[in-house]
Formats: sequence, C-alpha cells, structure tokens
Amino acid sequence: MGVDDVPMDDKAKRMRDLLSSFYSPDPSSPSKTPNASSRFATLDTINTTTFDADQYMNLLVQKSNLEGLLQRHVDMAAEIKNLDTDLQMLVYENYNKFVSATDAIKRMKNNIVGMETNMEQLLEKIMSVQSRSDGVNTSLFEKREHIEKLHRTRNLLRKVQFIYDLPATLAKCIKSEAYADAVKYYIGAMPIFKIYGDSSFLDCKRASEEAIAIIIKALQGKVFSDSESIQARAEAVMLLKQLDFPVNNLKEQLFEKLEQFLVDLHLDYKEIRYASSGLGGIPVSASSSAHEASIREFAEAVRAYRVIFPDSEQQLFRLAKELATKHFEATKQHIKKQVSSTDLVAMLRVIWTDVLLMDEVLPEAGLRDFTFEAAHDAIKQYVACRFSHLLLDISDALVKVHDNQKGVIEEEHPLQSALETSKKALVQGSMDALLDSRRLLDENLEVLSSLTDLIIEWVQEGFQDFFRKLNDHFFMLSGKKYSANEDLTFGEGMQGDKVLPELVLLLAQLSVFIEQNAITRITEEISSFSGGGTRGYENSSAFVPAEICRIFRSAGEELLQHYISLKTQKILIVLKKRFTTPNWVKHKEPREVHMFVDLLLQELDTILNEVKQILPEGLQPKHRRTDSNGSATSSRSNPLRDDRLVRSNTQKARSQLLESHLAKLFKQKMEIFTKVEHTQESVITTIIKLFLKSLQEFVRLQTFNRSGFQQIQLDIHFLKTTLKDTAEDEAAVDFLLDEVIVAAAERCLDPIPLEPAILDRLTQAKLAKNSDQSSTS
Amino acid sequence: MQGGSNGIGYGLKYQARCIADVKADTDHTSFLTGTLSLKEENEVHLIRISSAGTELLCEGLFSHPNEIWDLASCPFDQRIFSTVFSSGETYGAAIWQIPELYGQSNSPQLERIASLDAHNSKIKCTLWWPTGRHDKLVSIDEQNLFLWSFDTSKKNAQVQSQESAGVLHSLTGGAWDPHDYNALALTSESSVQLWDLRTMKKTNSIDHPHVRNLDYNVKREYTLVTAEDESGIHIWDLRMLKFPVLDLPGHTHWTWTVKCNPEHEDLILSAGTDSAVNLWLASLPSSDEPTPESFDSPNKPVDPLLNSYSDYEDSVYGLAWSCREPWIFASLSYDGRVVVESIKPHLPRK
Repeated sequence: MGVDDVPMDDKAKRMRDLLSSFYSPDPSSPSKTPNASSRFATLDTINTTTFDADQYMNLLVQKSNLEGLLQRHVDMAAEIKNLDTDLQMLVYENYNKFVSATDAIKRMKNNIVGMETNMEQLLEKIMSVQSRSDGVNTSLFEKREHIEKLHRTRNLLRKVQFIYDLPATLAKCIKSEAYADAVKYYIGAMPIFKIYGDSSFLDCKRASEEAIAIIIKALQGKVFSDSESIQARAEAVMLLKQLDFPVNNLKEQLFEKLEQFLVDLHLDYKEIRYASSGLGGIPVSASSSAHEASIREFAEAVRAYRVIFPDSEQQLFRLAKELATKHFEATKQHIKKQVSSTDLVAMLRVIWTDVLLMDEVLPEAGLRDFTFEAAHDAIKQYVACRFSHLLLDISDALVKVHDNQKGVIEEEHPLQSALETSKKALVQGSMDALLDSRRLLDENLEVLSSLTDLIIEWVQEGFQDFFRKLNDHFFMLSGKKYSANEDLTFGEGMQGDKVLPELVLLLAQLSVFIEQNAITRITEEISSFSGGGTRGYENSSAFVPAEICRIFRSAGEELLQHYISLKTQKILIVLKKRFTTPNWVKHKEPREVHMFVDLLLQELDTILNEVKQILPEGLQPKHRRTDSNGSATSSRSNPLRDDRLVRSNTQKARSQLLESHLAKLFKQKMEIFTKVEHTQESVITTIIKLFLKSLQEFVRLQTFNRSGFQQIQLDIHFLKTTLKDTAEDEAAVDFLLDEVIVAAAERCLDPIPLEPAILDRLTQAKLAKNSDQSSTS
Repeated sequence: MQGGSNGIGYGLKYQARCIADVKADTDHTSFLTGTLSLKEENEVHLIRISSAGTELLCEGLFSHPNEIWDLASCPFDQRIFSTVFSSGETYGAAIWQIPELYGQSNSPQLERIASLDAHNSKIKCTLWWPTGRHDKLVSIDEQNLFLWSFDTSKKNAQVQSQESAGVLHSLTGGAWDPHDYNALALTSESSVQLWDLRTMKKTNSIDHPHVRNLDYNVKREYTLVTAEDESGIHIWDLRMLKFPVLDLPGHTHWTWTVKCNPEHEDLILSAGTDSAVNLWLASLPSSDEPTPESFDSPNKPVDPLLNSYSDYEDSVYGLAWSCREPWIFASLSYDGRVVVESIKPHLPRK
C-alpha cells in the first residue's frame, strides 16, 4: 500500500458512505456501522456495502492460520474468475441487442419511401366512384317520383271507396253484432268525415252516423243488461268510450245502484244482527243466510263494476270501506249500550265474513287492514266501556249504601250487608269483565286472534285504570278530595250533604279487601287469562298489582284515619261544649257523673256498632300491660333516666316538677299513638285514646276549683270502669285517664280528691241508672 | 325517641306554654318564655344561645305576677314585651320592660309600662305591629279586637279603636299580615276572619271550623297557614278562600301551632299535642297562577314531612323561629323544657 493510496481510499470510502446513507432506510446506521464493523467485523461482511478491505485483510490474517489463508486465497481467486466471466457475458449480450436494434431502424427507413405514391392513386379511384353514383341517381329520380304519385292516388282511391262502403259495412256489422269491427271502421273514417263530412261525403256520413247511433244504443243495452257476461259488458263500455259516448253518466248510474244497495244492505244487516243476538250468537237463521247472499250479490256487482270501469277502484274502495265503517258504527252503538262479549263476537263474525267476501273482490282495497284497525278500535272501546260500566256498577252499589243510610231502612246489619254487596259487586264485576274479555280471546276469529296480545294488554290496562279511578272515587265519596272534581255530578251530590263516617269506614274496609283479596284474585285470573302467552304478562307493565295494592293500602289507611278523625271531631264538639260552658272556678260539688260522659259512651257505642259490622276482630289482646308496665320498664329506661338526670342536674331550677317528671319517666313513653290497624279493637282504642288525649288538653286549658276537680275525677273514674271493657290497649288508656286527673290536679287551685268510697258510690249509682234505662228501653 | 336530640335543652321550673323570639335583639339569638303555674310564682326567662351555639344561657330571670298564657316580644325594642296572663277568674294583659340590671342572680322586678286593661272578657293574645318602630299593638279577647296606640316614652297605652266580633264568634287568636299592615287574621270557633284595621271591619272569612292557630307566610304574599285540631295543617291562598291550596297531615293528635320560616317560604314548623314538632316542606305552585287543577294528584312523590322531632315528654305548645338565624327554632313543651334545634341537617340538598 503506497502513501498515494491513502487519500484515494478515503475518497472512495466517503463516496460509498454517501451512497449508503442515501439508500439506507435508517439514517443513523451508516454513521454507526463503520465503528461497529471496525470493532465487531466478521468475515461475512464481504458482501455488505460497508466492506472494508484492509480491515477484512487484517481480520483474516488474525483469525486464520496459513493453511486457511491459502485455502481462502484459492477460493477467492476462483470466485473472482467466475465474476469476471459473468461480467463478460453480460456485456456481450447487451452489445448483441444493440446491434439488432440498429438493423431494424435501417430497414424501416427503406420501406417508407414508396408509400406516398400509393396513397395518391387511392384518392383518384374514390373520386371516380363518387361521380358515377351521382349519375345513376339523377337518371332514376324521375321514374321514382312517378311511382310514388301513383301509389298515393291509389291509397286515396281506396279510402274513398271505404268511405262510400262504410254505411253498408256498418249495417252488415250490426246485423252480425260485430260491434267492435263497426266501431273500428267508424273510428277509422272519422278524420275524413271531420274534414270533408260537410261537402262531398255528406250522405255517407249521415248514413254511417245513423248506423253508429244504433250501435250505441245496442251497446248501452248490453252494458245495463245483467245477463250479458262481464267480459261483454266491459267490452261494450270500452267501445262506447271509443265512440266518445259520455261513459261517466253510465258509471255514475251504476255506482248509484251499488250505493243504494249498500243502504238497503245496512237495514238488512241490522235485522240480521238482532236475529243473531236473539239466537245466542249463532248466525244460522234464515235472515242471516239471506244477508250473506245479499253480500255475495253485492260483491259480484262490485266485481263487475270494477272490471267494467277499471279506473274506478278508488271509488269502490271507498264503498267497501263505507260498508265496513257502517258495520263498526253499528257495533259501537251496541257497545255503548253494553252488550255481552258473545254478542260482540257474533257481530264481529258477521263483519268478518262480509269483509272476507269483499276482500276477494277488492284485494287491493286494504279492507282487511281497515277492518283490523276498526276492530282494534271497537274492541278497545269495548274493553274501556266494560270497565267504565264496572265502575258505575260499583259506585251505584256504594251510593245505594249511602241512600240506605239516609233512609230509615231497618236492617239488622246494614253496614255489613252493604260491605258484602259492594265486595260482591266488585269481585263479581271484575270476574265478569275478565270472563267477557276471555270469551273474546277464545273465539278463533282471525280478527280477534291477531289482536290477542293487544286485548290482553287492554284488559290489564283497563284494570289498572279502573282501580285507579276507583281509588279516586273512594276519596271523592269520602269527601276527602274537593276542588279537583268539584264539577262532577258525583262530587256535588256528596259535597252537599255531610259525608257519612259509616261510608268512609265502609270504603276503608273495601280498600283493604281490594288490597288483600281482590287484587290477588284478579292477578291470578289475569295471568291465567293471558294463558300460554306469558310473554304478554311478563313484559307488560299495564297491570301492576303491586302498585294497585300500594295505592289501596294507603287509601285504606287514609280512609280509616279519616273515619277516625270524623268520629273524633264529633266527640270533640261534645268535649268543647262541656269545657267551655261552665265556670269551672265556681263549680258546684259533684253530685253525679256528668251527662257528657253518657253522650260520649253513646257515641262510642255507635262507633262500636259500625265497626263491629265491618271490621274483623283483632288478634288476641297483646299483653301490653306486661310489656310496658312493671319490672320490664326499669331495665329499659335505665340509660334514659341517667341521661335525663345528668341533664336536669345541670339545670338547677327544678324543684316541684322534677319529681313528677321523674315519676313520669318510669311510666311514660309508652307509645300512645300507635299505628291504626284494620281491626275493631284497634280502631276503637285509637278513638278512645284520641278522645282521652283531647280531654287532657281541654283540662289543661281550664282552671278548676276543688269541686270542678272532683267532678273531673268522678267522670274519669266512671270512664275508667266503662272503658276497660272496650279498649284493647288498657295500659295506655289507664295512663291517659291518670294523665287527665293529673292535669286537672295541676290546674286546680285546691286539689283535694274525693274519697274513693264516694267515687265508687256515685259510679255505682250511675251504672245502676244506666242499666235501668237500658232495661226499660 | 327516633327524633334524636341534637338540640340544646333548657329547663324551666314550671310548666309553660309560650315562647317568643326576641326579634329586636340583633346581636344575639334570644328567646323569651313565660311559665304557667297556678300556685307558684311565675317567671319570665330571657334565654340566649351562647356564642358557640352549644348552650342555652339564662340572661335574665324575672318574676311575673300571674301565669302567662301568651307572650309577644316587641319587634323594635328587645327589652319590651307583652304578656297575657290570668289566674282563676282574673285576667289581664300588660306591656313590660326588662330592667337594665342584666345578669344578677336575684330576680329583679319587671317594670310594667302599660296595662291593656280595657278588656272585659278573657284575653287571648296580643300582637305587635309586624316590623319596625311602630307603636301599635292589637289585643284580642273572646269577643273583641282592640287596637292600642302605645307610647314608649310616656309609658302608657291607649285604645285607638275597638270592635266586637260578636258574641257568637268566640275568638281564640290571630296573626298580623306581614305584607299588608292593615290586615289581620283572627281565629274563631267556626271560621277564620280577615279584618281590616283601618275600618275595623271583617272583610272576609274562611269557613273552616276548629282552627287553633295560624300564621302568615312572611315570604309569600296572600298565603296563610292554619292548624287545626283534627284535620292537620291547611295552606290557603287569600285570594281564593273556598278550598285550601295544600293540606299537610299535621299531627297524630291536635296540631297546636304553626310557624312559617321567616326566610324560606316553603318551610313550615308545627307543634302538636302528640309531643312532637314537625318540619314540613310545603312546595306551593308559583303564587302568580294559583291553579287548583294542579292538585289533582294526591299522591305526590315527595313526602312533605322533612323531619319529626319527637324527643319531647309532653305536648308542645310553644314554638318560635329565630329571626336572626332562621335555621334555628325554639320549642317549648308543657313540662317546661325549651329545646333549640337547627333544621340544617334536615334541609333537602339542592
């Protein structure tokens, strides 16, 4: 390696680097690879672009032994030789191709020289051909002109001949009844008549017109005659139309005929419906078959009409729809008059057969769809009607209760029987409604079966709606809801007179019955009703028994509460009178139990009477006494008491009240106002408790002298003995009675109680007097 | 017991019925209450919520000659208040001034500024002119309505006008319209009567019996809330008196008193003889168009009862919102316990 070689080598390397950087996909690699190859080069790099000969040499020398080197040398020499020969081969082949290409170009140059003269000859020949053909053309022109003229004349002559012959032809046609041909000829002659009819062909025209008039008449007759085949009639109409005859008149006349038929049919239909309903819904009577026949006839007529006047479809559709509409209107009228489902089914059946007949004739009229829709509406209306009737029935039953109460109808248990009747009305009515709807489903009429799912849904919806309305109605009857339904006739009637507590109680109990009994029964019935179609039942949210139950549960509670408050209001008036009238500070010594107690007991008796009729008896008395009194209390109130004691200790100013408070702490906090249940005892007890609490509050508002206090004491003592039997929650009642006395003592200027002996004596006297009265009366 | 007592308690020595917010005290939240004891010496307590809000402090304890049936605080002078008192057959009403010696242990005497002694039947209540320095006062007895003109400096009160409501209508109480200072609503046995003070005539009436207490809505005009013995709470629009706008169930026994919140127009507090205080959220339709149709749905999804404070031992007769801190109210049960509660934890989140 010489010194000169070094720059050369550098230059070559740089060139190679530049090239490789240009072609390399990764721009970073060329800068790296030289370093990498210098360090980690192997013998395989000989074929790469970054081959470094010196390095390769060095590596080879380092790595191989002499023998290997020699071997390598031999291999390499052989490879080089091979490469040389390949190179030579390539050069030679390319040279060959070049030579042949040059040859081809030379030949092309020679061939082109003769072409131009050939082209000129061609042009000349074409010119001569053209001039000859022109000559032929001119020579033949005259003759052709002549032939054409002759031909035209002949045509004209033939036409004239035809026109002259026309009347005769027509007459011949009339004779053979070949009206179609006649019309064809006549129409063919028309343009000529139009132009020359007033001059040269006057006679001809007149004669043929006469003939045509005859034809028209004949055709008209044909159209109207029912004996002719439809085809023939249709053809006749076609011909008439071609003759510019006013076909529309005909059409209208025919159509009127059809319409008239429909009107007649309607009457017919009514009869038939009566007949069928009279026969229990089996349309086999003579009139029904007559009906069917007439419908068939009508269908035939329509078919004919349709064929005759193919463009009159719309009118016919309208007609068919009118027929269906008429049917359904009649049905709806009957639905309004409350029909049973069998009748409805019968009606639908009649309609359906009619519709099927019509549908055969007019399949495009969409009569089926129309009928489905109409049936859809009708059944929906039917279901809705059914439920509104049900609601009316029930409210009638209730109003009757109302009236009975007002009237002086002596019955032993008016309320009880009223409850039973309204219960029955409700359940029976609902069941009937269901049965009716079920009958609709059981009929395998095509209209109905396609509506099955919908009907189920409607019935469920109907029930849902019905119960909701019933709930509203209850509230309206109970007078709890004003203003909203003020304008309704119901509301006014109820608003006018006072709401009867008995009715409220009745409604309350009815609500409970609905919630606990009726709903489950109806739900069962409905689920069996939707039958195999559980799908409908599952995903339809139309009838939600849970919701209805919830509504009626709250309604029952509310109504019961309302009853109680109505009753307590009555008692309250008595109490108010009792406490506001006398001057308690100047009260005289008590001689007997005050008569307001009698009034109260009387009121309680009526309540008891009402309640006993309607409400169920409660469970066994819940031993509240042991629950809330005695030893159990101490453990319960321990933390409570501590808390209170601490609190009261921090507040110093407590002397007198503290004692009574502490005493109370052990006694009180029994639940005075428990939830009202739908049992006799619970209602009575609640009313008594409310009454006693009111008594206490009234007492607290007064100031008593000793005698006043003693009077209260006496009254309470008497009440204690009498109420014991009626009230369920004795502990609470006792407590409240004591509270009244405590309150009276607190409000008394001089609280010295009566001797127990005197109390007992006066109480006994009163009891004796009461029993006397009851025995005499 | 489920009401839980987050409230702060304070015990009076005797039984008590009435408590009033001291409206004129702008620095503290304080209440005045008076006891009802037939035989002992009655007291008026001035109670203040400590600055931390955790304690009720007795700021003043004054003896009062008779048992107190009604108590009203003067809206412009925190030291002046009026009471209605009676014992046995004697009755009366007076305006009192608290002496300046606060915080002394012995009971200083209240100064009687004026006696409202024109009445000849049992006095039911006194009402102050709703707001501001206005020296007018109304007192109501069973049959009559007196409008007093009251002079603080001269310390006397004179009858300005008087009218009888008739013997048949035994009046029980009333409220002064905070929107129209000439209007007054009175409760009587059989109806609620609306009076005009200028003419001293009854202008209208709601024929609804057994109303025990009523209150005007401070924030919403034409709205009157009544409490009844049996049928709960009714809210009326004074422009259509035929039917109540809204009913609330009230209490299990009598609903004794109702008070509308001074700030929040929908909040109503009621106390009853079932030993409970109920907090209601009565969302009324907008007052511009009172449509009765919108009440068709009785089963409203929201329960109007926000909370029932049932931690009382006896009937609750006294109830007062604090005007200074309108989320605080004081209640007074018959056993003499004052409980001050905050309604904040029960307000609906917005």
